[in-house]
Amino acid sequence: METKLQVRDLAISFRTTNGKVQAVRGINFDLAKGETLSIVGESGSGKSVTSKAILGILAGNSIVEGGEIIYDGKDLLKISEEDFHKIRGDKIAMIFQDPMSSLNPIVKIGRQLTEAMILKGKARQRESKLTFNIYLKTINQKMIDASAANDKTKADEISAKCQNFNKFEYKHLELESAYNTAHESALEAIDMIDVISFEMEKNAVKDVNYRIKQIVRLSKASVHDYVVKKDSKELLAITAKLVKDTPKARKLNDYSSLLTSLARIAEILRAATAAPMPNFFAMGYYLTFANQPLPEMPIAELDVYLRKYLDDNFMLSFIEDAKKGVIYSASTCYAAKEAAIAALKEAKPIFAKAELDSKECYAAHKALSEKVKACIDPLEIIKDSLSYTFEPGVKSELDKYFKAIEKNKVEVKKHDKIQAKYDRLAASGKTPDWKVPAAAVTDLELVKKNINRQIDRLIEHYEASLAAKSNRDYDKETVAAIDHLKSNASGVVNKVTKQVAKAKAIKLMEEVGIAEPRKRYNQYPFEFSGGMRQRIVIAIALAANPDILICDEPTTALDVTIQSQILELINKLKRERQLSVIFITHDLGVVANMADRIAVMYAGKIVEYGSAEEVFYEAAHPYTWALLSSMPDLDTNEKLEAIPGTPPNMIYPPVGDAFAARNKYAMKIDFERQPPMFKITDTHYAATWLLHPDAPKVDPPKIVTDRIARMKEKRGASHAE
Amino acid sequence: MQNNNEVLLKVENLCQYFRSGTFVNKAVDNVSFEIKKGEVFGLVGESGCGKTTTGRSIIKLYNITGGNVYFKGIRIAAGIQSYKDAIEKAKADAKEKLASAKSDAEKKRINDECNAIVAENKAKLKEADYDQKHCDRAYSDRLVSNLKEKFLPLIEKASGDEKAKLTAEYKEALHKAKRTKLVTQIQMIFQDPIASLDPRMTVREIIAEGLIIQGERNKEIIDQKVFEMLELVGLVREHASRYPHEFSGGQRQRIGVARAIIMNPDLIIADEPVSALDVSIQAQVINLLNDLREKFGLTILFIAHDLSVVKYFSDRIGVMYYGKMVELASSDELFLNPLHPYTRSLLSAIPLPDPIYEKQRQRIVYNPLAAHDYSIDKPTFREVKPGHFVQCNEAEYQEYMKILK
Repeated sequence: METKLQVRDLAISFRTTNGKVQAVRGINFDLAKGETLSIVGESGSGKSVTSKAILGILAGNSIVEGGEIIYDGKDLLKISEEDFHKIRGDKIAMIFQDPMSSLNPIVKIGRQLTEAMILKGKARQRESKLTFNIYLKTINQKMIDASAANDKTKADEISAKCQNFNKFEYKHLELESAYNTAHESALEAIDMIDVISFEMEKNAVKDVNYRIKQIVRLSKASVHDYVVKKDSKELLAITAKLVKDTPKARKLNDYSSLLTSLARIAEILRAATAAPMPNFFAMGYYLTFANQPLPEMPIAELDVYLRKYLDDNFMLSFIEDAKKGVIYSASTCYAAKEAAIAALKEAKPIFAKAELDSKECYAAHKALSEKVKACIDPLEIIKDSLSYTFEPGVKSELDKYFKAIEKNKVEVKKHDKIQAKYDRLAASGKTPDWKVPAAAVTDLELVKKNINRQIDRLIEHYEASLAAKSNRDYDKETVAAIDHLKSNASGVVNKVTKQVAKAKAIKLMEEVGIAEPRKRYNQYPFEFSGGMRQRIVIAIALAANPDILICDEPTTALDVTIQSQILELINKLKRERQLSVIFITHDLGVVANMADRIAVMYAGKIVEYGSAEEVFYEAAHPYTWALLSSMPDLDTNEKLEAIPGTPPNMIYPPVGDAFAARNKYAMKIDFERQPPMFKITDTHYAATWLLHPDAPKVDPPKIVTDRIARMKEKRGASHAE
Repeated sequence: MQNNNEVLLKVENLCQYFRSGTFVNKAVDNVSFEIKKGEVFGLVGESGCGKTTTGRSIIKLYNITGGNVYFKGIRIAAGIQSYKDAIEKAKADAKEKLASAKSDAEKKRINDECNAIVAENKAKLKEADYDQKHCDRAYSDRLVSNLKEKFLPLIEKASGDEKAKLTAEYKEALHKAKRTKLVTQIQMIFQDPIASLDPRMTVREIIAEGLIIQGERNKEIIDQKVFEMLELVGLVREHASRYPHEFSGGQRQRIGVARAIIMNPDLIIADEPVSALDVSIQAQVINLLNDLREKFGLTILFIAHDLSVVKYFSDRIGVMYYGKMVELASSDELFLNPLHPYTRSLLSAIPLPDPIYEKQRQRIVYNPLAAHDYSIDKPTFREVKPGHFVQCNEAEYQEYMKILK
């Protein structure tokens, strides 16, 4: 599984007038592509703070105490606000808890929905163009390096090929997007016809004029060389008749004539959409370079012909060269990695000294950064995050270290002064009513440890990558590289205009279940009910087509049917777009529905972490038990077990296990020492002393075991059926 | 829980329409149900289906359009607008008929008919208006006469100090009885514990407000009662002098509960009291309501959309869809034999804390156009099994009976 997001040792505090509130205290998790991670816990457990840190929207009084959030080769805690603009909303989107406060009350819904699409559309186009050009240039260079190091003519030939690829790729995309528009409008028209015919038969149709016009517009738009061609004349005739008939039919309230016309349109469109899609990639090449019109033949034969033409003239040799380039790039990279490992190992003593030397350290850091930079394979599509974050990561730690040496002296002096004052007062017989605050010194050892850990981690990472050297499939990688080029090119061609954005927005509104989206498009947020508003917010979050979606209790304020619809929607989008989702909620039923993996948070720490099945059926932490037993399900009759008390005050976090005070299974050690993460299985961890080999054996509460037994029984019964 | 059949609240053909321009929004349309003393009646449905409007109409926060609401046998709300509409309609009909009428005799007959309808409706209207305005007086009259029966003979018999004491007591009781309003026997717990508490009042003021309005003047008694209520809902005395913002969500909801039960109500309308709360706090509030119900024999109209909570808490459940009651049954029966397609779709949407089940769960989609054919035979609210009512027409009724067998 490909890891999208890594959170390491994240710690966040908030400065308040009463002191520092420790909201998140060192949490770790990974998020894979296409996976849902649920974070569960009471309010105030740090769930929302974590998600806000990922999105870089923490409140002004927050202090990031430490840790890393690695996404796409960047540490999100360290990048500038400018860089964050490219990620926030575009790559990582968020659905907030309260829809009322996340919508602008004086801007129409339609504007708010399309705003991001249009803004991000332009930015994305620019970025795709840049990526495409740079990547093509790099691959060009690598191909030349690989097979024509000293051969000028061969090098020119390769460059010319790359140029050609650039040219006909755009042609291909133009053709394809024209086809897609026609094809999609045909499909949409079919859907609309199905709905309107059904309503006409039931005599409950509304808004006929407008909808018929839409159908006609879509039908006309679906006339295209490879969609509706043969029957296009008939289609246009029927649509003209349809428009003429509508007012009369409305007046008489008799839709039978419309129904027959609609049925015929649907028939034509269905036949057209069922036809296969020609290979536009090959066609693009033919049209650009063959200098002659397309031969007349059925699509299947045409495809074979064009494909052959493309392969013979261009593609095979291009792929071969590209493969050489990829192999060359990878091999230089491996060599660089070996060198880097040696250099890193060599440099380790410099950072392990009792007292670091500023000059030596910065010099070593510079040298190492060069070496590490050489290890980055520019043709790699999934970025090697660790190599990218090494340079800034170590640098910030070094800066911290050397600044702290000076600062610590000042702080200690300050502390000594106050201590002396206190002592003086105490000596003169008074008892001061204030305490001497601890010196605010930075822990130099910890900073040093962080540096060393980063180096060790990188060495380990490189060694693992070298070990997996022989398993790489270069054919696949070459194809992936060319696909990467293609997808970026499509990002350049597919422009987001106002009309496109509006059509997309209306489609999204329909998808999230808003009735009469065209009317709703021009309304203000106050005209929507709570559930509808939340749907709008979800539609806005999805509009930019993000990589990672963070849902902060999106369905808490909605009723079951809509909740169910929205969850289905998120699940569907997750499957279709390979979306990674972080789902924050306290409703365990929803968690069960959504989550692949679950992290249970309490007082700023993850107390249990595992796959959904493990956390629900084999829960190990008393807090998870408490959560499970405080929620009624359909078969619960006994008294619910509410969790007594409230979460601890995080200005003074407890010394031991934070849950100990509310935990009826608490032991003495729970009040004295924090439990480490105990491993239960490879994927299941829990932080409770109950899992220690010396701990007494404790069974989960009866209400939980009963429920699990009941579920198993039910499932067994349903399997038997 | 008491197992008697005394009907505490009876809602008869309740209609609540809202006009916006020419468009009439039928928020609640012809809803009838009864709540017996000591039971918890759950009302579920999606947002916008009229659950909350029903609750608010019962407590007279709206003037209802049509139908009657009886509480303890006294009509507390009656739809005036429906009678007015009937009069207008009769007049309009008569006018139309008169235009086409030929002979004088026919004209006279039409006029008489119209007048009869108008007179009948006017009489009803007057009655409804009177009941609506004077239901509190009727109730306080009842209380006063009860008091008189109880105290007057005692006072006559007594003499000296005892007489003075009794007279004082009697006067105090009379003062309260005269000010007692029937509607205060119904109290409401609101959904949002933040918005429903005045931020500028202390908890003591919030909880005692109802008592003061009712005529309680003795500060000591008020304080004592407030403290009692605070302890009852799991807060401590010291909280009385604090302001709402100093409390957590669960504690605020407890204050809302204390404010409702200090009036010693017979019926509590709980409008989504746990929807805005965390799971653990939700459990605390549900347990609290359960305890109170056992202690005081409270009757509760529980409005919510979390079906697992409703199932856990209620004795009977009514399912609403777009202003109509579509199914009404005891909670076990409803979950065992859901008949109406909307109920089925609603039940299929409940998420349960069981990942394997959840990953397989299929939601049933309810489309009223596809599910019913009401073009000829209009649906009515029928009893398919003792205590189990479904909105259906004849064909569907036969089908449901088959399923039940």
